[in-house]
Amino acid sequence: MISAGNDIVSLAAIDVTRTNQHKFYSKILSDSEIPLYNEFSLAQIPFENFVWLLWSIKESVYKFLQRGNPNLLFTPVKFVITNLHLPADYSVPAFNQLAIENARFKGIRAIKSTITFADNTLFARSVFFNEFIHTVANSVNDFENILWGVKKIDTDDSNIQSVEVRSFLLERVKNIYGDGFRVEKNESGCPVLFGTGKDFPIPVSLSHHGRFVGYSLYKQTLII
Amino acid sequence: MTRTEILDELKKVISPYTTNKEQLANIDEQTDLIKDLKINSANLVDIIIDAEAKYDIEIDYDSADKMVNVGTCIDVISEKINQKA
Repeated sequence: MISAGNDIVSLAAIDVTRTNQHKFYSKILSDSEIPLYNEFSLAQIPFENFVWLLWSIKESVYKFLQRGNPNLLFTPVKFVITNLHLPADYSVPAFNQLAIENARFKGIRAIKSTITFADNTLFARSVFFNEFIHTVANSVNDFENILWGVKKIDTDDSNIQSVEVRSFLLERVKNIYGDGFRVEKNESGCPVLFGTGKDFPIPVSLSHHGRFVGYSLYKQTLII
Repeated sequence: MTRTEILDELKKVISPYTTNKEQLANIDEQTDLIKDLKINSANLVDIIIDAEAKYDIEIDYDSADKMVNVGTCIDVISEKINQKA
């Protein structure tokens, strides 16, 4: 299935106290996912960041599936993470830059996960910096053709986030494929990339939270 | 509580999570929390927990996932208040 799903969480924008309350995290995590924290605890990663990592994974999977099923509702506990792999000797890196763009997660120590939802099994890669968590989902455990990016912006105003994330994505597309692309919403409200001429709408996923924006898309669909 | 009374209280619950105050003042049952009020999806759990506290109700997963617009929020809150009575 060709789709796109990404999600970003700004760690400055989360409510640490609330996230650690059972009534909050129990609406995101299922009981079977709690033991997955053990490995993260050993890596000195706070529980609240673990909760938001799982949120990010689940929402990116939801966005991936929702494109093909516009009426799908997001119930985080129904998206179950069955496998979550933290790279060995992991320590959360500082994000000392304005933006990061990557293909395939090359050179990135990504957190790998497997997720089930009803009869679907999906896969995700998450990058975890001290300031944000960004996740990209796919229906196969292969991210060779995935392009993604994250950028820090000056404001958390939702209207500006929306403009910023589109211009960030289009700049990347322009650098790789040239001018003439634009982002629109399809009939289901999901963002798609249009080029000039004969091409067809290409699924893209946009996200924003706090002062961060992110995108993902499937590169192969651009080769038309 | 009537639907209008729940709507008035719901505005207060939602208010901390939207910067779109003008739209909030004019919401109706069709107003979508994410698309119209620009509420970040990461705050939807906050809204559910705040609604639980305000109305002294418990909103289960299957009910929570229906709360995508103002009308469905009122439906769920109204149902849970009636179950409690």
